[in-house]
Amino acid sequence: MTVYPLTRASTLGIIGRFALALVAVVVIQGILSFRFKVFGYFDLPLIFSVYYGFTLGNPVASIVIGSSLGLMQDSLSGAVLGANGLSKTLISFFAATAGSKFAVDQPVTRAFALFLFTIGDGLLVTILGLMVGPASGAIYSGALGGWALSAMFNTLLGLVLFGYHDRSGNAAT
Amino acid sequence: MSRIVSTTKKPTWIALAVALVIQTGLISIQARRRIDAGFVRVWVLDSLAPMEKLADRSTFGLSSVWDRYVALIGVHDENQRLKHQADDLQMQLQRNREDIVELQRLRTLLSLASSDRGKTVVARVIGRDPARSQTVTIDKGAAHGVKPDSAVITPAGVVGRVIHTSNFFAIVQLIVDSQSAVGVLLESTRRQGIVRGTGGRDLDLDYIDDDNDLKQGDAFLTSGLDRIYPKGLPVGVITTIGPRRGLLKTVQIRPSADLGRLEEVICIIEQTHVDVVDPGQGTSNP
Repeated sequence: MTVYPLTRASTLGIIGRFALALVAVVVIQGILSFRFKVFGYFDLPLIFSVYYGFTLGNPVASIVIGSSLGLMQDSLSGAVLGANGLSKTLISFFAATAGSKFAVDQPVTRAFALFLFTIGDGLLVTILGLMVGPASGAIYSGALGGWALSAMFNTLLGLVLFGYHDRSGNAAT
Repeated sequence: MSRIVSTTKKPTWIALAVALVIQTGLISIQARRRIDAGFVRVWVLDSLAPMEKLADRSTFGLSSVWDRYVALIGVHDENQRLKHQADDLQMQLQRNREDIVELQRLRTLLSLASSDRGKTVVARVIGRDPARSQTVTIDKGAAHGVKPDSAVITPAGVVGRVIHTSNFFAIVQLIVDSQSAVGVLLESTRRQGIVRGTGGRDLDLDYIDDDNDLKQGDAFLTSGLDRIYPKGLPVGVITTIGPRRGLLKTVQIRPSADLGRLEEVICIIEQTHVDVVDPGQGTSNP
């Protein structure tokens, strides 16, 4: 197959921009969670995994994005390495599959998906943490409330960010 | 955004399988602890934390410009008031200096060890855990002598312990994390116990020799028995005492250090070994 230098350069440029955006998402999440405690309830990597899953139309790229975001998230936290990675991989895959089969442009659909994905993410990461992490007598009764709150916050922020991205995307094209 | 439609399903399944195998492999080798997967964390932490530090410095710089040049309304009156306050404090400081000299003299007389906690390093908190567990990132790492299980404190009390280090950064598990436990002793009665994090704002009392004489406002100090935190550091104060659950009463403890507003922390990188047997323990117990 003939590879044209210009095409290769532009592909590398796109990949580079994506990589920078992913790093920025994780760093911004870390900084905002530190400065504003309420941001601990948001999960920007999850929102972006879902968004790219829905809109990119390329499941492989979505899986790579979700997987990378999750792994970076794990590395910057004390969580089990791979827990968020696994969860975000699955979420981005399901989001990409849903994006190719259903109409996910409607805010209601997106809100519903974000809510469910956040709950699923919390559940999976907690289970993996309990399976792999040190034994603990910690009380997880408050966890469901935390996930629900987080799911609501993610849904609201996700809708705003999705709307903004869609508008800026349409303006660019 | 333009949609790039994939033509076949096969690469998707391969990509998914590869990603899942990598992530599951990472989880699995951590569970079996046969291979150290920490290098992945070290790489990513060393790559991302400088950006986090840069962003933190930028926001700090912006807020400092705001504080110094924009928010100066009413500063003159406040300045006058603070000058008076400074005079008072200067006098108080002088008195305190005299007290310290006296205290040192008495300590020497009583042959007590100094209150030095060992070799410490001051670190700045540059980020909070993006995955919602209770950890923070600090800007000191293995190159500064910080290692896993180093105790992290503030003058107000215990903050947590280091759980992961990279060369220049470290991740600190706060004492309120649900995986955290601290060996404590009750300041008033010297009874020993264990407090655990709940994942929320407070700590739970997990074990104590005898919980009959606990009351609100009682303070817990580190016992030093966990070999992580030096003895005698403030841990927290009892806020609520509930009914018994099993053998023990449900006791909630508010951490002494304000874990929601951490800016700078002290990392104890080398502890001076102290005798953890408490001299008052035998006398206070009935």
